[in-house]
Amino acid sequence: MAIGSVQSQLESYLSLTMQRQTVLASNMANVDTPGYKTKDIDFQSEMARALAAPDGSTSEASPHAVTGLMERPDGNNVDIDRESVLMAETQLQYQLGTQLLKGNFHTLLAAINGGS
Amino acid sequence: MGLFTALDISASALAAERQRSEIASSNLANVDTTRSSSGSGPYRRKEVVLQTAGTSFSSLLGASGSSGSSSAAVPVGGVELTRVVEDTSAAIRRYEPGHPDADKDGYVSYPSINPAQEMVDLMGSVRSYQLNATAVNASKQMIQQSIDLLKS
Amino acid sequence: MVSGIGAGVSSIASQVVGPSTSAKPSATTSSFADVFKSAVSSVDSAQNSADQQVMDLLQGKSGANIGQVSVSVEKADVAFQLMMQVRNKVVSAYQDIEKMQF
Repeated sequence: MAIGSVQSQLESYLSLTMQRQTVLASNMANVDTPGYKTKDIDFQSEMARALAAPDGSTSEASPHAVTGLMERPDGNNVDIDRESVLMAETQLQYQLGTQLLKGNFHTLLAAINGGS
Repeated sequence: MGLFTALDISASALAAERQRSEIASSNLANVDTTRSSSGSGPYRRKEVVLQTAGTSFSSLLGASGSSGSSSAAVPVGGVELTRVVEDTSAAIRRYEPGHPDADKDGYVSYPSINPAQEMVDLMGSVRSYQLNATAVNASKQMIQQSIDLLKS
Repeated sequence: MVSGIGAGVSSIASQVVGPSTSAKPSATTSSFADVFKSAVSSVDSAQNSADQQVMDLLQGKSGANIGQVSVSVEKADVAFQLMMQVRNKVVSAYQDIEKMQF
C-alpha cells in the first residue's frame, strides 16, 4: 500500500536523524577535549540501507571519523561552525519528518472518518 | 540511543565547562596568594583534564556495574572532567624582605599564573557553554516535535 | 442534475491536481459513474506522485526540492478531501431523492 511504505520510510528517516543529532551533540560536547576526532554518520547510505532492509526496521548507524578537518595543537579537530550548521540542518530535517508523518496520519484519519 | 541521550551528552558538557570556568576563576582570584590552604608555599595553578566519556576506566566502571553509587553516570560520547592537576612549574620569586611570608633570603614566592592565559581559558569555556546550551535547545525542540505528533 | 455534478467534480479535480495527471473524461455523453471513477483515479495518482516525491526527498535524490514536495503533498491532500466531500454530498442527495414519495 502506498501510504504504508512512505510511513516506514519516514520512521527510518526520523530514527536516523535522531541518531545524527546524538553524534553531533557528542562532537559539540567534546569541543575542548584534547585528542578528540569529529564523528559523523553517512546519512545517505544509512537511509539506503534502511530501505533495503526487508522488515523495514532501522539498525543503529555506526559513526565514522570525518576527514579533511584542521587539527589544533592539542589534537582536537572539532569545527564549531560545521557542527552548528549541521545541527540546525538536522533540527529542520526532524521537523520535516514529523510534519510529513502528521500529514500522512491526517489523510488516513480523514479516510477513516469519512470526512464528516 | 535516543534524543534523551543527546540531551544527557550536552548536559555533561555544560557541567564540565562550568567546572572549567570555576577553575579558571579560582586561578585568577589567587594570582597574588602567597600562602596556600595547605600551608606549604604559594597557591599552585590548577589545570583541568577533559576526557570523552566512555573511554576512561572510571566511567566504564560507573556505566556498567555500580547502580547505586553513580546515579549521574556520564553517557558514552559525553565529556567529563576526570582530573584537576596542579601546575608543577616553579613559583615566581620576588625580593620583598619586609613581607611576612619572605624566606630567609628575603624572597617571597608568588604563584606562576598568567592572567591573560586564564582570561582566554575563561572565555573559551564560556563560548563552549553557549554552544552546548544551543545544542540542548535543539534536542529539546526535536523531542517537543515528537510529542506534538501525539496531539490531535 | 446528477451528470452536471459529475462534470463539475471532474473539472474541479483536474484543476486541483493539474491537467497532466488527470484522465480526461470524454464529452457530455459519459455516465456519472465513469466521470466519478476518473476523478477518483486522478486523486489516487496525485497521492502516488506525492508519495513518490516524498520518498525521493527523504533519500536525498537530486531534483527533489522541499518546496515542490510540500506543494504536491498539499495538493494531493486537498484533492482527497474534496473527493470525500463531494462523495458525501452525492450520497446525501441520493438519500434525499430516495425519500421523495410520489
